[in-house]
Amino acid sequence: MNMPAKNPLHLREAWVIFFVLGLVMLNFPFLHIFNKDVQVFGTPLIILYLMVGWPVSILVVYLFSRLLANASPEADDDNSPPPPQDQP
Amino acid sequence: MIPFGIVATLSLLYFGMLFAVAYYADQRSQLGRSLIDNPNVYSFSLAVYCTSWTFYGSVGRAATSGIDFIAIYLGPTLMAFTWWFLLRRMVRVSKEQNIASIADLISSRYGKSAVLGAIVTLFAVLGILPYIALQLKAVSHTFNLLTIPPTELAHGARHHIPALPLTVDTALIVALLLGLFGVLFGARHLDATERHEGLVAAVALESLLKVVAFLMVGIFITYGLFDGFTDICNQFLARFPERRHLLRLDTEHIPYPEWFSLTFMAMMAVMFLPRQFHIMVVENCREEHIHKAMWRFPAYLFLINLFVIPIALGGILLNNGDTSGADFFVLQVPLDTGHPWLALVVFIGGFSASAGMVMVESVALSTMILNHLLMPIILKVYSGAGNLSGLLINLKRISIFAVILLGYLYYRLLGESAALVNIGLISFLAATQFAPAIIGGLYWRRATRRGATVGLTLGFMVWFYTLLIPAFVDSGWLSRTILDDGLFGLAILRPTALLGLVDFGLWSHALFWTLFVNVGSFLAISLLTTPVPAEEEQIEKFVDVFKDRMAAPQLRRISKAPTIIEFVELMAKFIGEKRAHLAISEYLGNREIDAKGSLSEQELPQLKRFTELTLAGSVGTAPARIILENYLAARGSHMEDVFDVLGSVNISRTASREQLSVLYEAARAASSGASLQTVLDEILKIFTDQFRFDLCVIRILDHERQALTVRSQRGISLSPAFGADRELTMDTFIGEAFLTNHMIVVNDSDTISKQKTSEITRLEGIVSFAHAPITVEGQPIGVISASSRTAKGVFTDEFVELFGSLAGQVGVAWRNAQQTERLIVAREQQRELEIAKTIQLGLLPLTVPDIPGIQLGGICVPAKDVGGDYYDFLLQSDGGLGLVIADVSGHNVGAALLMAETRTLIRARYGQLGTPRDTLAELNRFFYEDLSRAELFVTMFLLEFHPESGRAFYASAGHSPALLWSKSVGECLRLDAEGLILGVRREFPYEQESVDLGPGDVLLLYTDGVIEAANSASELFGEERLADLLKDSHQLAPRELIDRILQQVRLFSGSHSFNDDISLVVMMVDETKKSP
Repeated sequence: MNMPAKNPLHLREAWVIFFVLGLVMLNFPFLHIFNKDVQVFGTPLIILYLMVGWPVSILVVYLFSRLLANASPEADDDNSPPPPQDQP
Repeated sequence: MIPFGIVATLSLLYFGMLFAVAYYADQRSQLGRSLIDNPNVYSFSLAVYCTSWTFYGSVGRAATSGIDFIAIYLGPTLMAFTWWFLLRRMVRVSKEQNIASIADLISSRYGKSAVLGAIVTLFAVLGILPYIALQLKAVSHTFNLLTIPPTELAHGARHHIPALPLTVDTALIVALLLGLFGVLFGARHLDATERHEGLVAAVALESLLKVVAFLMVGIFITYGLFDGFTDICNQFLARFPERRHLLRLDTEHIPYPEWFSLTFMAMMAVMFLPRQFHIMVVENCREEHIHKAMWRFPAYLFLINLFVIPIALGGILLNNGDTSGADFFVLQVPLDTGHPWLALVVFIGGFSASAGMVMVESVALSTMILNHLLMPIILKVYSGAGNLSGLLINLKRISIFAVILLGYLYYRLLGESAALVNIGLISFLAATQFAPAIIGGLYWRRATRRGATVGLTLGFMVWFYTLLIPAFVDSGWLSRTILDDGLFGLAILRPTALLGLVDFGLWSHALFWTLFVNVGSFLAISLLTTPVPAEEEQIEKFVDVFKDRMAAPQLRRISKAPTIIEFVELMAKFIGEKRAHLAISEYLGNREIDAKGSLSEQELPQLKRFTELTLAGSVGTAPARIILENYLAARGSHMEDVFDVLGSVNISRTASREQLSVLYEAARAASSGASLQTVLDEILKIFTDQFRFDLCVIRILDHERQALTVRSQRGISLSPAFGADRELTMDTFIGEAFLTNHMIVVNDSDTISKQKTSEITRLEGIVSFAHAPITVEGQPIGVISASSRTAKGVFTDEFVELFGSLAGQVGVAWRNAQQTERLIVAREQQRELEIAKTIQLGLLPLTVPDIPGIQLGGICVPAKDVGGDYYDFLLQSDGGLGLVIADVSGHNVGAALLMAETRTLIRARYGQLGTPRDTLAELNRFFYEDLSRAELFVTMFLLEFHPESGRAFYASAGHSPALLWSKSVGECLRLDAEGLILGVRREFPYEQESVDLGPGDVLLLYTDGVIEAANSASELFGEERLADLLKDSHQLAPRELIDRILQQVRLFSGSHSFNDDISLVVMMVDETKKSP
C-alpha cells in the first residue's frame, strides 16, 4: 500500500480523502459494478467484494492509526497535548 | 431442549462471574490501578454496539431480506475514520466539562440549557425504548426456545412455574433481572465523576464472550454441518434459486438508497446512541485509546459478521426454506442438530449481548432522566435544607428499572409483531436526530440554542410520525387508515409517503424527512438568532477545545461569598459527605490558603466553578448551574462584575491579548533607544491608556539624596504630598516595596495601617493601589505605582502579574538608558584613540635613511590602538646621524600630542642644540612646564653617530640602556648614561658617553615594552635574554633582526599582542667599512 506522505498535514487530508473514498466505494454506483449474478471462487461477487473491501478499509484505518502514533503530537492543528486525566 | 435448572443456574453463575469482574474492577480503580485503562478493554467495551440484534437479528435479516445487515456494521467502520477528529473532540470537551451523558453534552454546548437537556432526554428515552424491548424479546425468546418444548412455547414461563399469573412472562422476569444488574453495576453509589469501571469491565468481558460464541456456532455450521461457505452457497442456489436475491443488492428489499440510508444511520448511531456515547466518551480513560479502538472495533464488527451469511443460508437449508424462525437460527440450528451444549454457549453469548446493552443503556438513560428530568423538579421544590444524595441515588435506581420496564411495555404492546432488525433501526434513526445539534455544536460557532431546540424537536416529531405510527399500525394499535389515507385524510400526510414521496423505502423516507426538517430548521434558526451570553462562553469551550486557551482572568467576584466549608456542605447534599470532602481536599491541595483559612477573593469564583463542575459530574451541567445559582441567590450573594480594569466590553476573552499587547508595547518603548525620560513617560502612557487608573507614578532612586524621586507621572494629583520624594524607610508602602523588593498590593485603602500613606490616600481619594519595585538584575532601582480612586479589589492575581512584568520593563528601559550612556563615553574614547593613532603613526619615519656604510632598521608595535613610543632617524648637515627612541607614559591623545611636540622640537632644532647631552637638557627645560601639568613623563635615549670617525655620543633621560654587539669584543655591551626622565626637574645635568663602533658592530635601541614582556608565569623577558638574542643573531640584517626579536618576544609571552608598546631601532656598521 502506498502510504501517504509523512507530512502531518497531508496525513490529515489523506484521512479525509480515504473516508470519502470509503463512503463512495461502499455505495451506489460502485456497488453496482459488483452486483452481478456471478460467483467467483464459489462466492457471489457482491459478497466477496464486501467481505474483502471491508477488511481492506479496516487495514487502512490501522495503517493510519500507526502513522498517527508515530507522527508528532502536532499531527494536526487541532491536536494539542491532552489535559491531565483525572483518574479516580 | 435443555433442563430449565441447568440453563437458569448457568445464567446466574455467568452473571455472578460478571459481577465478580465488575467488583474487582471497581476495587482496582479505587486503588488507582484501573483495569479498564487499556485500549483493548476500551475497544471491547465499544462492542456494546453489538446487541442481540447483531447476535440473532443479523441472521434473521440475511435469511429474509438479504445482505443489507452488513451496512449496519460497515457504517461504524467508515465512521472510525472520523474518530480522530470527531470522537477525540467529543472526549476532550466532555472531560473538560465533566459531561455525564449525551443530553448533558447538548445542553452544555447550548448554554447549559435545562430545557434542551430535558428535550434530549425525553427523545432519547422514547427513541431507545424499542431497542430495549428488542433485547427483552431476544432473551426471553431464546430462553424459552432452549428450555421449553416447541409444543409448549405458547405457555412461556408458566411452563416451568404454573403458578405464575398470566401477566408475568419470561420477558418480565428478564427485565427485572436486567434492572437489578443495571443497579448493581451502574448505580451502587452516586459517583462524582460518573464513571463506572466495573460496568465497563463487565461489558468488555461480555463482548469477548459474544464474539467467541458466535464464531463457534459459525464455524460449527459452516464447517461442521456443511463443507465450507462455497458448499453452503452452492447448495442454497441449487435448492432455492428463486431466493438468489438474498445474495444481491438492488433488490425489492434492498434498493440502493436503502443501503445508503442504513449505512448512514449506523454511522450516526455508533456515535450518538446514548449507550455508545456513554461507553465511548464518558467512560473513556484516555484519548490515546481511541487510536487503537479506531481499527480494533471495526475488526470486531467484521469478525462477528463473518459467519452471518453462512448461518443464514445454512439455516434456510436445514429448515427446508422455512424462515419464520430465522431470527433465532443461531440458537435453533445447534439445538435441532443435537448440540445442546453449543446452544447453551450461544444462549450465554446472546444473553451477554442483550444484558450488556440493557445495562449500559439503562445506566446512561437513568443518568439523563435524573439529571435533566428529575433534578429540575427537585430543585424547584428543594428548600435548601437536608441531604439529597440518598434521594438522588434511589431516584437513579428507580429510573433504571423504569427505563427497562418501559422497554418491556413497548415489547408487550408492539414488539411481538416486528422483526428484531426493524425495532433496532427505529432507535438508530432516533439517535441520528442528535447528530446535527452535536456536530454543529462542536464545529459551528453560529449554532444557537434555539436552532438546536427547534431542529431536535421537529426531527423527533417527524421520526415519531414516519416510523412509530407505522409501527403502531403494524401492531394493530392504530387502524390502517392513517397509513393509507394520511392524517386527517390528507394524502400528502401519509406517514410513509410524506408530501407524496412514494416508493422510497421506509428507512430512506424517514431518514430523509427527519434530517431535512432537523438540519434545515437547525441551520435556519441558528442563522436567524444570536447566542445568549451563557452560550457564548460554551462555544469557545466546544469549538476551540483544541486551541490553547489562555486562562481567562477571573473578573467576577462573589459578594457575600460562601466559605469553603459552605461549598463543601452544598456538595455533600448532592454527592454525599465522603465524596464532597475528597473532592475539596483534592482541589485545595495545590492552592494557597490565607491566614484566615479561606481563599483569596480571586480564588472564590474558581471554587464556585469547581463546585459546579463536581456537581455536574453527578447531576449534569444544567442542574449544577441551577443549584449554584439558587444557592447563591438564597444567601443573597451574587456574582458581580469586578471593576473592569482591563478596559473593553468583553473582558473574559480578550484580556490576555490586551495584557500581552501592553507588555509588548512597553517592551517596544523600552528598547526604542529614546531618552530615558521619553521611555518612562511612554510606558506610563501605554499603561494608563489601557487600564483605567487615576494616578500612576514611576519613582527612581536618587543616590545623592537617598530618596525615591518622581521621574514620570500620569494623572492629576490633588495634594503636593503625593508627588513628593519618598524616603527609604518602611514608613510608606513605596519605601517598603523598594526596601523589601516585593510588590505591595492594597485592594482596599481603608484597611491600611501606615499613617503617612493613609493620609495621602485620604487626600487623594485613592481606594486601592499597588507598588511594584523596578529592578535591574534583581536589585531595586525604583518603584512603579498605580492607584485607583474608584474601585476596590482592582488588583486581581492576573493583573498583579502583569503589573510586575511592567515594572520589569521599566527596569529594562532604565538599564538600556544606562548602557547607552556608557556606550557614548566609550565611543568618545574610541574616537580619541583613533585621532591619537593617526598622529602617532604620522610621527614615525616612513622610510629608513640610506647612509653608506651603515644599515638601519626601526619598528614600533603599539600595544593597543595607540602607542606612546617614538623613534626617529635624524640626518645632520655634517654627515652625522642622530638616533632617537622615546617612550611617553599614557596612551591617549595627550601622549600623542606630546610626542608630536617632542618630534617637532627635535627635528627643528636638532642641529643647533649641539650634543645629545645638550639636546636632552634643552628638551627637559622645555617640557618641564607642559609635562608636570599634564602629569605625563617622557624617557628618551639619544645617540649621535659620526660615520667617518665611527664614534657615537649618547645620552639617556631615564630610558632603558641601548645594547651594542661589539664584534671586536664578541660580547654585548650596555650603553647607559645617567639621566633623569624628562620634565621632572627644571634643570638637570645629563651625562653624555661615547663609544667607538667598528665594522660588524650592531647597535640596538629599544623601549621597555621588550624587556618587560611577561610570560604566563609572570617572568619578564629581560635585558639578558635580549642581549643573548642580539649576540646570537647579530649577523642578520636589521630588518630580519627586528623580526626575530619580535618573534622571540611573542613566543616568550605566548601571545601575539603585547601589553605595552614595543619599539626597536637597529643600526649595523657594514663589515666592509674601513676603520679610520
